[in-house]
Amino acid sequence: MHKWSSLICTLFLLLICISGLPLVLREEIDGLLDDALPYAQVPEGTPNVSLDRVVDASRKLYPGETIISVFVDDDEPKIMVYMASSWEAFNADRKSLYSIRFDAHTGDVLKQTKPFGADGLTFLQVMLTLHRDLFAGLPGELFLGGMALLFIAAIVSGIAIYGPFMRKLDFGTVRLARSRRLKWLDLHNLLGVVTLGWAFVVGATGVINELSTPLFALWQQTDVRAMLAPLQGKPVPQTSELSSPQAAYDEVQAAFPDMITTTVVYPGSPFGSPYHYVVWTRGKEPLTSRLFSPVLVDARSGVLVSTVAMPWYLRALELSRPLHFGDYGGMPLKIIWVLLDLVTIAVLGSGLYLWLSRSRAERPQQHSATALLLPGAAE
Amino acid sequence: MTGTRPLRLIWRWPVLLAVLNVFGLLAALIGQTGIWLALSWIALTIPLAVAAICIVRSRA
Repeated sequence: MHKWSSLICTLFLLLICISGLPLVLREEIDGLLDDALPYAQVPEGTPNVSLDRVVDASRKLYPGETIISVFVDDDEPKIMVYMASSWEAFNADRKSLYSIRFDAHTGDVLKQTKPFGADGLTFLQVMLTLHRDLFAGLPGELFLGGMALLFIAAIVSGIAIYGPFMRKLDFGTVRLARSRRLKWLDLHNLLGVVTLGWAFVVGATGVINELSTPLFALWQQTDVRAMLAPLQGKPVPQTSELSSPQAAYDEVQAAFPDMITTTVVYPGSPFGSPYHYVVWTRGKEPLTSRLFSPVLVDARSGVLVSTVAMPWYLRALELSRPLHFGDYGGMPLKIIWVLLDLVTIAVLGSGLYLWLSRSRAERPQQHSATALLLPGAAE
Repeated sequence: MTGTRPLRLIWRWPVLLAVLNVFGLLAALIGQTGIWLALSWIALTIPLAVAAICIVRSRA
Protein backbone atom coordinates (compact mmCIF):
# COMPACT_ATOMS: atom_id res chain seq x y z
CA MET A 1 0.00 0.00 0.00
CA HIS A 2 2.72 2.48 0.99
CA LYS A 3 4.79 1.40 -1.98
CA TRP A 4 2.07 1.76 -4.58
CA SER A 5 0.42 4.90 -3.28
CA SER A 6 3.81 6.63 -3.12
CA LEU A 7 5.24 5.28 -6.34
CA ILE A 8 2.39 6.60 -8.43
CA CYS A 9 2.50 10.09 -6.98
CA THR A 10 6.22 10.53 -6.21
CA LEU A 11 7.38 12.04 -9.51
CA PHE A 12 4.44 14.44 -9.63
CA LEU A 13 4.90 15.28 -5.98
CA LEU A 14 8.56 16.05 -6.60
CA LEU A 15 7.50 18.39 -9.40
CA ILE A 16 4.91 19.98 -7.10
CA CYS A 17 7.37 20.41 -4.23
CA ILE A 18 10.07 21.88 -6.45
CA SER A 19 7.75 24.28 -8.30
CA GLY A 20 6.16 25.18 -4.96
CA LEU A 21 9.50 26.26 -3.52
CA PRO A 22 9.71 29.64 -5.33
CA LEU A 23 5.95 30.11 -4.91
CA VAL A 24 6.35 30.35 -1.13
CA LEU A 25 8.37 33.52 -1.74
CA ARG A 26 6.12 34.67 -4.56
CA GLU A 27 5.38 38.13 -3.15
CA GLU A 28 9.05 38.83 -2.52
CA ILE A 29 10.16 37.61 -5.96
CA ASP A 30 7.29 39.48 -7.61
CA GLY A 31 8.24 42.63 -5.73
CA LEU A 32 11.86 42.34 -6.85
CA LEU A 33 10.97 41.79 -10.49
CA ASP A 34 8.10 44.25 -10.60
CA ASP A 35 8.63 46.88 -13.28
CA ALA A 36 5.56 48.95 -12.40
CA LEU A 37 5.82 52.70 -11.86
CA PRO A 38 6.19 53.60 -8.17
CA TYR A 39 3.28 54.80 -6.05
CA ALA A 40 2.93 58.58 -5.81
CA GLN A 41 4.07 60.14 -2.54
CA VAL A 42 0.96 61.67 -1.02
CA PRO A 43 0.13 63.28 2.32
CA GLU A 44 -1.26 60.98 5.03
CA GLY A 45 -5.02 60.50 4.77
CA THR A 46 -5.29 61.16 1.03
CA PRO A 47 -8.51 59.45 -0.07
CA ASN A 48 -8.71 56.94 -2.92
CA VAL A 49 -9.87 58.13 -6.31
CA SER A 50 -13.36 57.08 -7.36
CA LEU A 51 -13.72 53.61 -8.86
CA ASP A 52 -15.91 55.24 -11.51
CA ARG A 53 -12.93 57.27 -12.71
CA VAL A 54 -10.66 54.22 -12.77
CA VAL A 55 -13.25 52.21 -14.68
CA ASP A 56 -13.73 55.02 -17.22
CA ALA A 57 -9.99 55.25 -17.73
CA SER A 58 -9.85 51.47 -18.30
CA ARG A 59 -12.62 51.63 -20.89
CA LYS A 60 -10.77 54.44 -22.70
CA LEU A 61 -7.61 52.31 -22.75
CA TYR A 62 -9.45 49.29 -24.13
CA PRO A 63 -12.60 50.50 -25.91
CA GLY A 64 -15.28 47.87 -26.42
CA GLU A 65 -13.66 45.37 -24.06
CA THR A 66 -15.30 44.01 -20.92
CA ILE A 67 -14.50 44.79 -17.30
CA ILE A 68 -14.50 41.60 -15.25
CA SER A 69 -13.78 42.95 -11.78
CA VAL A 70 -12.21 45.78 -9.80
CA PHE A 71 -10.02 45.05 -6.78
CA VAL A 72 -9.20 47.65 -4.13
CA ASP A 73 -6.11 46.69 -2.14
CA ASP A 74 -6.12 47.67 1.53
CA ASP A 75 -2.45 46.85 1.92
CA GLU A 76 -0.87 48.87 -0.86
CA PRO A 77 -2.39 51.99 -2.48
CA LYS A 78 -3.42 50.22 -5.63
CA ILE A 79 -6.60 49.49 -7.54
CA MET A 80 -6.58 46.65 -10.05
CA VAL A 81 -9.00 46.54 -12.97
CA TYR A 82 -9.32 43.11 -14.60
CA MET A 83 -10.59 42.96 -18.18
CA ALA A 84 -11.11 40.53 -21.05
CA SER A 85 -12.23 41.04 -24.62
CA SER A 86 -15.72 39.75 -23.68
CA TRP A 87 -17.47 37.54 -21.14
CA GLU A 88 -17.63 34.78 -23.77
CA ALA A 89 -13.86 34.96 -24.24
CA PHE A 90 -13.31 34.96 -20.46
CA ASN A 91 -15.64 32.01 -19.92
CA ALA A 92 -13.97 30.04 -22.70
CA ASP A 93 -10.49 30.77 -21.36
CA ARG A 94 -9.91 32.26 -17.91
CA LYS A 95 -6.36 33.02 -18.93
CA SER A 96 -7.58 35.67 -21.39
CA LEU A 97 -7.81 37.97 -18.38
CA TYR A 98 -5.52 41.01 -18.34
CA SER A 99 -5.12 43.79 -15.83
CA ILE A 100 -4.42 47.47 -15.33
CA ARG A 101 -2.86 48.66 -12.09
CA PHE A 102 -3.80 52.14 -10.93
CA ASP A 103 -2.36 54.30 -8.19
CA ALA A 104 -5.26 54.43 -5.72
CA HIS A 105 -4.46 58.03 -4.74
CA THR A 106 -3.85 59.63 -8.12
CA GLY A 107 -5.66 57.32 -10.54
CA ASP A 108 -2.50 57.10 -12.68
CA VAL A 109 -1.83 53.89 -14.58
CA LEU A 110 1.17 52.13 -13.02
CA LYS A 111 1.28 48.93 -15.02
CA GLN A 112 -0.63 46.97 -17.65
CA THR A 113 -0.40 43.24 -18.19
CA LYS A 114 -1.31 41.27 -21.29
CA PRO A 115 -3.44 38.10 -21.17
CA PHE A 116 -1.67 35.08 -19.66
CA GLY A 117 1.14 33.95 -21.92
CA ALA A 118 0.63 36.63 -24.60
CA ASP A 119 3.92 38.24 -23.61
CA GLY A 120 5.79 35.05 -22.82
CA LEU A 121 5.56 33.58 -19.34
CA THR A 122 7.40 34.81 -16.31
CA PHE A 123 9.34 32.34 -14.17
CA LEU A 124 6.69 32.46 -11.44
CA GLN A 125 3.85 31.94 -13.93
CA VAL A 126 5.57 28.79 -15.22
CA MET A 127 6.08 27.53 -11.65
CA LEU A 128 2.53 28.33 -10.61
CA THR A 129 1.01 26.66 -13.67
CA LEU A 130 3.16 23.55 -13.26
CA HIS A 131 2.25 23.48 -9.59
CA ARG A 132 -1.47 23.89 -10.15
CA ASP A 133 -2.44 22.21 -13.41
CA LEU A 134 0.60 21.14 -15.49
CA PHE A 135 -0.59 23.55 -18.22
CA ALA A 136 -3.68 21.35 -18.66
CA GLY A 137 -6.42 23.54 -17.14
CA LEU A 138 -9.20 21.91 -15.15
CA PRO A 139 -8.26 18.29 -16.03
CA GLY A 140 -4.74 19.06 -14.80
CA GLU A 141 -6.10 20.53 -11.57
CA LEU A 142 -8.18 17.42 -10.91
CA PHE A 143 -5.29 15.14 -11.83
CA LEU A 144 -2.87 16.85 -9.44
CA GLY A 145 -5.65 16.87 -6.80
CA GLY A 146 -5.76 13.09 -7.23
CA MET A 147 -1.98 12.92 -6.85
CA ALA A 148 -2.24 14.94 -3.63
CA LEU A 149 -4.86 12.47 -2.43
CA LEU A 150 -2.44 9.60 -3.13
CA PHE A 151 0.22 11.55 -1.22
CA ILE A 152 -2.10 11.56 1.80
CA ALA A 153 -2.65 7.82 1.35
CA ALA A 154 1.14 7.41 1.26
CA ILE A 155 1.48 9.37 4.51
CA VAL A 156 -1.20 7.29 6.25
CA SER A 157 0.19 3.97 5.01
CA GLY A 158 3.68 5.18 5.92
CA ILE A 159 2.49 5.78 9.49
CA ALA A 160 1.01 2.27 9.52
CA ILE A 161 4.35 0.61 8.71
CA TYR A 162 6.44 3.01 10.81
CA GLY A 163 5.22 1.41 14.06
CA PRO A 164 6.24 -2.18 13.30
CA PHE A 165 9.48 -0.97 11.72
CA MET A 166 10.52 0.99 14.81
CA ARG A 167 9.81 -1.84 17.26
CA LYS A 168 13.51 -2.53 17.68
CA LEU A 169 14.93 0.91 17.02
CA ASP A 170 15.13 4.01 19.17
CA PHE A 171 13.44 7.10 17.79
CA GLY A 172 15.73 8.98 15.44
CA THR A 173 18.22 6.17 14.89
CA VAL A 174 20.20 6.74 11.69
CA ARG A 175 22.49 3.81 10.91
CA LEU A 176 25.14 5.58 8.91
CA ALA A 177 27.83 2.94 8.92
CA ARG A 178 25.99 -0.20 7.82
CA SER A 179 25.02 0.41 4.20
CA ARG A 180 23.95 3.26 2.02
CA ARG A 181 20.50 1.77 1.68
CA LEU A 182 20.01 1.40 5.42
CA LYS A 183 21.18 4.96 5.96
CA TRP A 184 18.60 6.31 3.50
CA LEU A 185 15.89 4.06 4.90
CA ASP A 186 16.47 5.49 8.38
CA LEU A 187 16.63 9.06 7.02
CA HIS A 188 13.41 8.49 5.05
CA ASN A 189 11.66 7.33 8.23
CA LEU A 190 13.08 10.08 10.44
CA LEU A 191 12.45 12.98 8.07
CA GLY A 192 9.04 11.60 7.10
CA VAL A 193 7.85 11.17 10.66
CA VAL A 194 8.98 14.58 11.96
CA THR A 195 7.20 16.45 9.15
CA LEU A 196 4.10 14.32 8.82
CA GLY A 197 1.77 16.83 10.53
CA TRP A 198 2.80 19.59 8.16
CA ALA A 199 2.85 17.34 5.10
CA PHE A 200 -0.62 16.04 5.90
CA VAL A 201 -2.07 19.55 6.26
CA VAL A 202 -0.38 20.93 3.13
CA GLY A 203 -1.41 17.81 1.17
CA ALA A 204 -5.03 17.95 2.31
CA THR A 205 -5.35 21.71 1.70
CA GLY A 206 -3.73 21.14 -1.69
CA VAL A 207 -6.52 18.72 -2.59
CA ILE A 208 -9.15 21.27 -1.54
CA ASN A 209 -7.45 24.05 -3.51
CA GLU A 210 -7.42 21.90 -6.64
CA LEU A 211 -11.18 21.50 -6.24
CA SER A 212 -11.86 25.24 -6.23
CA THR A 213 -13.26 25.38 -9.78
CA PRO A 214 -15.86 22.61 -9.26
CA LEU A 215 -16.68 23.91 -5.76
CA PHE A 216 -17.45 27.40 -7.07
CA ALA A 217 -19.48 25.84 -9.90
CA LEU A 218 -21.47 23.84 -7.35
CA TRP A 219 -22.18 27.00 -5.33
CA GLN A 220 -23.22 28.73 -8.53
CA GLN A 221 -25.62 25.91 -9.40
CA THR A 222 -27.22 25.78 -5.94
CA ASP A 223 -27.18 28.83 -3.63
CA VAL A 224 -26.60 31.50 -6.26
CA ARG A 225 -29.08 30.00 -8.69
CA ALA A 226 -31.76 29.73 -5.99
CA MET A 227 -31.19 33.35 -5.12
CA LEU A 228 -31.45 34.52 -8.73
CA ALA A 229 -34.46 32.35 -9.57
CA PRO A 230 -37.00 35.22 -9.29
CA LEU A 231 -35.02 37.19 -11.87
CA GLN A 232 -34.88 34.35 -14.37
CA GLY A 233 -35.31 35.54 -17.95
CA LYS A 234 -34.95 39.25 -17.20
CA PRO A 235 -32.65 41.08 -19.62
CA VAL A 236 -29.01 41.31 -18.62
CA PRO A 237 -27.84 44.93 -18.20
CA GLN A 238 -25.81 46.49 -21.01
CA THR A 239 -22.63 48.39 -20.22
CA SER A 240 -24.41 51.71 -20.74
CA GLU A 241 -27.07 50.75 -18.16
CA LEU A 242 -24.64 49.88 -15.37
CA SER A 243 -24.88 51.88 -12.17
CA SER A 244 -21.78 53.36 -10.53
CA PRO A 245 -19.35 50.76 -9.13
CA GLN A 246 -18.14 53.32 -6.57
CA ALA A 247 -21.73 53.74 -5.34
CA ALA A 248 -22.08 49.96 -5.04
CA TYR A 249 -18.80 49.83 -3.13
CA ASP A 250 -19.83 52.66 -0.79
CA GLU A 251 -23.24 51.18 -0.17
CA VAL A 252 -21.80 47.82 0.86
CA GLN A 253 -19.15 49.47 3.03
CA ALA A 254 -21.86 51.52 4.78
CA ALA A 255 -24.10 48.48 5.29
CA PHE A 256 -21.25 46.36 6.69
CA PRO A 257 -19.00 48.74 8.63
CA ASP A 258 -17.24 45.82 10.38
CA MET A 259 -16.04 44.42 7.06
CA ILE A 260 -13.42 45.50 4.54
CA THR A 261 -14.78 45.78 1.01
CA THR A 262 -12.25 44.41 -1.45
CA THR A 263 -13.64 43.54 -4.86
CA VAL A 264 -16.49 44.50 -7.17
CA VAL A 265 -17.24 41.73 -9.67
CA TYR A 266 -19.19 42.86 -12.72
CA PRO A 267 -22.51 41.30 -13.79
CA GLY A 268 -22.04 38.35 -16.13
CA SER A 269 -19.23 36.66 -14.23
CA PRO A 270 -19.27 32.88 -14.04
CA PHE A 271 -18.53 33.45 -10.34
CA GLY A 272 -21.44 35.84 -9.88
CA SER A 273 -24.77 37.01 -11.16
CA PRO A 274 -25.91 38.22 -14.58
CA TYR A 275 -27.86 41.09 -12.96
CA HIS A 276 -25.77 42.20 -10.01
CA TYR A 277 -22.46 43.51 -8.93
CA VAL A 278 -21.05 40.96 -6.53
CA VAL A 279 -19.19 42.97 -3.91
CA TRP A 280 -16.80 40.86 -1.82
CA THR A 281 -16.09 41.80 1.77
CA ARG A 282 -13.91 40.26 4.41
CA GLY A 283 -13.53 40.53 8.17
CA LYS A 284 -10.89 42.52 10.05
CA GLU A 285 -9.82 39.92 12.61
CA PRO A 286 -6.96 37.51 11.83
CA LEU A 287 -9.21 34.54 11.16
CA THR A 288 -12.17 36.38 9.61
CA SER A 289 -9.83 38.29 7.28
CA ARG A 290 -9.57 34.96 5.44
CA LEU A 291 -13.35 34.58 5.18
CA PHE A 292 -15.01 36.44 2.32
CA SER A 293 -18.70 37.23 2.07
CA PRO A 294 -20.37 38.28 -1.18
CA VAL A 295 -23.05 41.00 -1.27
CA LEU A 296 -25.33 41.47 -4.27
CA VAL A 297 -26.01 44.99 -5.55
CA ASP A 298 -28.47 45.46 -8.42
CA ALA A 299 -26.26 46.53 -11.31
CA ARG A 300 -29.01 48.66 -12.91
CA SER A 301 -30.58 50.44 -9.95
CA GLY A 302 -27.59 50.26 -7.62
CA VAL A 303 -29.80 48.94 -4.79
CA LEU A 304 -28.19 46.61 -2.26
CA VAL A 305 -30.07 43.31 -2.50
CA SER A 306 -28.59 40.93 0.07
CA THR A 307 -25.64 38.86 1.11
CA VAL A 308 -25.25 35.39 -0.37
CA ALA A 309 -24.78 32.41 1.92
CA MET A 310 -21.32 30.88 1.75
CA PRO A 311 -21.57 27.12 2.12
CA TRP A 312 -19.22 25.16 4.37
CA TYR A 313 -17.19 23.82 1.45
CA LEU A 314 -16.26 27.32 0.28
CA ARG A 315 -15.37 28.29 3.86
CA ALA A 316 -13.12 25.23 3.95
CA LEU A 317 -11.58 26.34 0.66
CA GLU A 318 -10.90 29.81 2.02
CA LEU A 319 -9.15 28.45 5.11
CA SER A 320 -7.22 26.01 2.94
CA ARG A 321 -5.49 28.79 1.08
CA PRO A 322 -3.28 30.21 3.84
CA LEU A 323 -2.62 26.74 5.29
CA HIS A 324 -1.37 25.67 1.88
CA PHE A 325 0.54 28.81 0.88
CA GLY A 326 2.21 29.48 4.25
CA ASP A 327 1.82 33.22 3.71
CA TYR A 328 0.11 34.06 6.98
CA GLY A 329 2.91 34.25 9.52
CA GLY A 330 5.51 36.66 8.25
CA MET A 331 8.91 35.95 6.75
CA PRO A 332 9.99 33.41 9.41
CA LEU A 333 6.99 31.21 8.56
CA LYS A 334 7.87 31.38 4.86
CA ILE A 335 11.42 30.29 5.61
CA ILE A 336 10.12 27.41 7.75
CA TRP A 337 7.79 26.53 4.85
CA VAL A 338 10.75 26.40 2.47
CA LEU A 339 12.69 24.17 4.90
CA LEU A 340 9.75 21.82 5.39
CA ASP A 341 9.31 21.67 1.62
CA LEU A 342 13.00 20.79 1.21
CA VAL A 343 12.67 18.04 3.84
CA THR A 344 9.63 16.69 1.97
CA ILE A 345 11.68 16.65 -1.25
CA ALA A 346 14.31 14.64 0.64
CA VAL A 347 11.65 12.19 1.86
CA LEU A 348 10.29 11.75 -1.67
CA GLY A 349 13.76 11.45 -3.17
CA SER A 350 14.93 8.92 -0.60
CA GLY A 351 11.72 6.94 -1.06
CA LEU A 352 12.36 6.80 -4.77
CA TYR A 353 15.99 5.78 -4.18
CA LEU A 354 14.88 3.02 -1.78
CA TRP A 355 12.52 1.61 -4.34
CA LEU A 356 15.03 1.83 -7.19
CA SER A 357 17.83 0.25 -5.17
CA ARG A 358 15.47 -2.41 -3.86
CA SER A 359 14.25 -3.44 -7.24
CA ARG A 360 17.85 -3.78 -8.39
CA ALA A 361 19.17 -5.58 -5.33
CA GLU A 362 16.21 -7.55 -4.08
CA ARG A 363 13.99 -8.40 -6.98
CA PRO A 364 15.85 -11.58 -7.99
CA GLN A 365 15.15 -13.02 -4.54
CA GLN A 366 11.44 -12.24 -4.90
CA HIS A 367 11.21 -10.35 -1.63
CA SER A 368 7.92 -8.59 -1.16
CA ALA A 369 8.03 -4.87 -0.59
CA THR A 370 6.85 -5.11 2.96
CA ALA A 371 9.14 -7.98 3.96
CA LEU A 372 12.00 -5.53 3.90
CA LEU A 373 10.21 -3.11 6.14
CA LEU A 374 9.00 -5.60 8.69
CA PRO A 375 10.88 -5.90 11.98
CA GLY A 376 13.88 -8.12 11.78
CA ALA A 377 13.86 -8.25 8.01
CA ALA A 378 15.51 -4.86 7.77
CA GLU A 379 18.74 -6.13 9.25
CA MET B 1 17.81 -2.05 21.74
CA THR B 2 17.08 -5.68 22.40
CA GLY B 3 13.52 -6.94 22.46
CA THR B 4 10.42 -5.12 21.34
CA ARG B 5 9.79 -1.55 22.43
CA PRO B 6 6.34 -0.76 23.76
CA LEU B 7 3.96 1.24 21.53
CA ARG B 8 4.10 4.15 23.94
CA LEU B 9 7.84 4.54 23.37
CA ILE B 10 7.62 4.11 19.61
CA TRP B 11 4.97 6.81 19.20
CA ARG B 12 5.98 9.26 21.93
CA TRP B 13 8.17 11.46 19.71
CA PRO B 14 6.18 11.20 16.48
CA VAL B 15 2.94 12.17 18.23
CA LEU B 16 4.56 15.03 20.12
CA LEU B 17 6.12 16.42 16.94
CA ALA B 18 2.89 16.06 14.96
CA VAL B 19 1.00 17.93 17.68
CA LEU B 20 3.65 20.68 17.59
CA ASN B 21 3.32 20.86 13.80
CA VAL B 22 -0.44 21.26 13.89
CA PHE B 23 -0.30 23.68 16.81
CA GLY B 24 2.24 25.80 14.93
CA LEU B 25 0.12 25.87 11.79
CA LEU B 26 -3.01 26.93 13.66
CA ALA B 27 -1.39 29.35 16.13
CA ALA B 28 -0.32 31.76 13.38
CA LEU B 29 -3.65 31.43 11.56
CA ILE B 30 -5.90 32.05 14.56
CA GLY B 31 -3.60 34.32 16.54
CA GLN B 32 -1.76 36.28 13.86
CA THR B 33 -0.23 38.66 16.40
CA GLY B 34 3.09 38.85 18.28
CA ILE B 35 3.16 36.03 20.79
CA TRP B 36 1.13 33.58 18.69
CA LEU B 37 3.33 34.17 15.68
CA ALA B 38 6.46 33.53 17.74
CA LEU B 39 4.92 30.37 19.24
CA SER B 40 4.05 29.21 15.74
CA TRP B 41 7.61 29.70 14.49
CA ILE B 42 9.02 27.86 17.51
CA ALA B 43 6.55 24.99 17.30
CA LEU B 44 7.23 24.46 13.61
CA THR B 45 11.00 24.69 14.02
CA ILE B 46 11.28 22.10 16.81
CA PRO B 47 10.53 19.06 14.59
CA LEU B 48 13.16 20.22 12.10
CA ALA B 49 15.64 20.76 14.92
CA VAL B 50 14.89 17.30 16.34
CA ALA B 51 15.62 15.71 12.97
CA ALA B 52 18.85 17.69 12.66
CA ILE B 53 19.95 16.66 16.17
CA CYS B 54 19.23 12.98 15.45
CA ILE B 55 21.31 13.13 12.29
CA VAL B 56 24.22 14.96 13.91
CA ARG B 57 24.16 12.60 16.90
CA SER B 58 24.30 9.51 14.72
CA ARG B 59 27.45 10.87 13.07
CA ALA B 60 29.23 11.01 16.41
